[in-house]
Amino acid sequence: MKNIVQGAIANGQKALSEYDSKRVIAMAGVPVSRNALARSRDEAVAFARDFGYPVVLKGCSDILTHKTEMGMVKLKLKNDDEVAAAYDEITGKGITLDGVLVQEWIEGDKREFVVGLTRDPQFGPCVMFGLGGIFTEALKDVSFRVAPLSTLDAEEMIDEIRTKKLLGEFRGSPAVDRDGLVKALVAIGNLGVEYDEIAEIDINPLIIDGSRPVAVDALVILRRETAADEKSA
Amino acid sequence: MKNLTALFYPESIAVVGATENTLKWGSYILTNILDGGYRGKVHPVTVRGDTVYGRKAYRTLRDIEGAVDLVFITTPADTVMEVMRDCAAKHIANVVLITSGFSETGEKGEALEENVNAFAREHHIRVVGPNTMGIVNTASSLYATGSHVRPRKGGISIITQSGNVGNQIMEWAEQESIGIGKFVGSGNEGVLSCEDYLEYLADDEDTSVVLMYIEGVDNGRRFREIAEYTTRKKPVIALKAGRTAVGSKAAQSHTGAMAGSHKTYESVLKQSGVILAHTPTELLTISSAFDSMPLPKGKRVGVVTLGGGWGVITADECEERGLELPPLPRDVYERLDALLPPFWSRGNPVDLVGQPDIDLFFAATDAMVASDAFDAVILLGMAGSGKFVTRIFEARQRLGFAKEKEIDEFKKIFADRQSKFLDNIVDLMEKYRKPVYPVALISSPGDEIVHGKKGSAYSVILYSSPEEAVFCLDKQYEYSRYLRKRSVGYEEHCAGSDSKRPESAFRI
Repeated sequence: MKNIVQGAIANGQKALSEYDSKRVIAMAGVPVSRNALARSRDEAVAFARDFGYPVVLKGCSDILTHKTEMGMVKLKLKNDDEVAAAYDEITGKGITLDGVLVQEWIEGDKREFVVGLTRDPQFGPCVMFGLGGIFTEALKDVSFRVAPLSTLDAEEMIDEIRTKKLLGEFRGSPAVDRDGLVKALVAIGNLGVEYDEIAEIDINPLIIDGSRPVAVDALVILRRETAADEKSA
Repeated sequence: MKNLTALFYPESIAVVGATENTLKWGSYILTNILDGGYRGKVHPVTVRGDTVYGRKAYRTLRDIEGAVDLVFITTPADTVMEVMRDCAAKHIANVVLITSGFSETGEKGEALEENVNAFAREHHIRVVGPNTMGIVNTASSLYATGSHVRPRKGGISIITQSGNVGNQIMEWAEQESIGIGKFVGSGNEGVLSCEDYLEYLADDEDTSVVLMYIEGVDNGRRFREIAEYTTRKKPVIALKAGRTAVGSKAAQSHTGAMAGSHKTYESVLKQSGVILAHTPTELLTISSAFDSMPLPKGKRVGVVTLGGGWGVITADECEERGLELPPLPRDVYERLDALLPPFWSRGNPVDLVGQPDIDLFFAATDAMVASDAFDAVILLGMAGSGKFVTRIFEARQRLGFAKEKEIDEFKKIFADRQSKFLDNIVDLMEKYRKPVYPVALISSPGDEIVHGKKGSAYSVILYSSPEEAVFCLDKQYEYSRYLRKRSVGYEEHCAGSDSKRPESAFRI
């Protein structure tokens, strides 16, 4: 994990690619969707077959933002041909990529949460939890705790959101694995405490698959000043 | 930790800039100290005149014979360094720097303040302020703020980053007879910060509740540690101002955009067991509940009401805040059934269906508070019901059907009954260690709000509305729950937080 973060800083990166972001949070203990970085069309198809259809393809690079708006995300691809076509389209936009991320498609049950890390100038790393998906910033149903989090802190921040009912049994879906969620929140807090180089983290959405929370998108932002220091040194 | 005992319990005080000119701080502070009943020595210091308010005045601090524990400085900013040097020369360790015109005014004032702060630190002088309203310690009858407010002695101590907000809270406390312990306006926090005051009050035996008005702290981590330490010992109620201010940090992530400093502050406060208030009036209301009553051990509420509507309102308020109204246990049911007319509510809330019977009030209260089924009891409309009847007699008198003497007798009987009813509540709170919240049927300005009983640590608060009673109960339950969760296996919770991580779900 240290290698990924420090390697990126040595490269002068401001953020980790989605692939590396997910690797980092997974190593910390947050469950993420299965994904692999394909560097050729055949490799993409092979990964997709291995995961089983449908799959998602995303252009992967540390400088890519607004992936969806740039047509860099292809959802729910159902067969080899669709994967091959999507690979060509993503790589054909003339943008330098690390590769194309092949990711298992998680249907989920529409319950989407957000987990994040931010740094407060007074209190240091803070963990956020709340309602995820496209309405996150409109509804702002989120709670914060300063890291490191005890499991009690994590439980209390989960119970603090207005939409906490979504965590129980909901429209035929089982209750969310609370322990898993608590562990994820504690883990993200610990990342903030252990890695000064990490400025912020967005995990959105964290989809509920059955009862299990799974991160399907993640972004780790690195400290700019640290990156600059490394460069000049 | 900085020992602030000599600051709050000085044996001798000097006021630099003392004057009889009514509208000067040197007069506000001095008259307040002298009029407030402070029993130690008080020395006015001024370059003009031999006496101030009848006390022998000194030209400088150095001229005072004997030791001085605490100095109030009210002279202009550019004279303060000289006074500080006098303090150092006289080995004075505590200063309340009332003077403004420092860092709050810009660069020049900032440089001036930094000189004063550096000098104070070097000579181990504890400085409150600058730009402070002053301090109060009712335990030593020391009223030394710019405002001549005289709350009665009590356990609520106030740390405020705004002198005016804190002063207004003391005014309300005086009006409502709510006891105040200490007050400190932290001002610019040049040397002593609100963290220092909190740390001191955590272990101060005269303080049972800490009330804080916060705009911002300089050392977030230290504040959090001290807040967490303090809430293990006593409740801390805080208002963090600036709810609507947008975080100035340019955030890159969505998480950062939603954080903002206020949200973080509130999270830190909650995480440390601090109870949040949204307005200054709430600060005092919540604090006085904590100061007067035992904590509820759980969230099961028993309600007794003189009429149905209030019971429903109270039940709604409880439900919305996550408090529960369990059904009446059999023994309570049978006891009340024997006393009440057949059409009574037969459930919780217990509706006394308007029976104006003082014996029934006592019996219902006793039965509900004594029951293990409830962690807290709310009593609606029994207190204050004498006033209701008095008003009927007053109308009769105006109509010529009652004599004044008769009314006076009734008033006395009702006052006596109310006093006994409230005394009984104090006794019940002592006996069962659970809070009881009576809501007055009628309350008028000037009526008793806090009812104490000699020899008891608890007192009864007469709430003016059901929602206020439930609001306070909910805050007390929040704190009680925080403590309970942390005392049961809290250390294990913390220790387990970074060990055993779940197996990685990531595959390459």
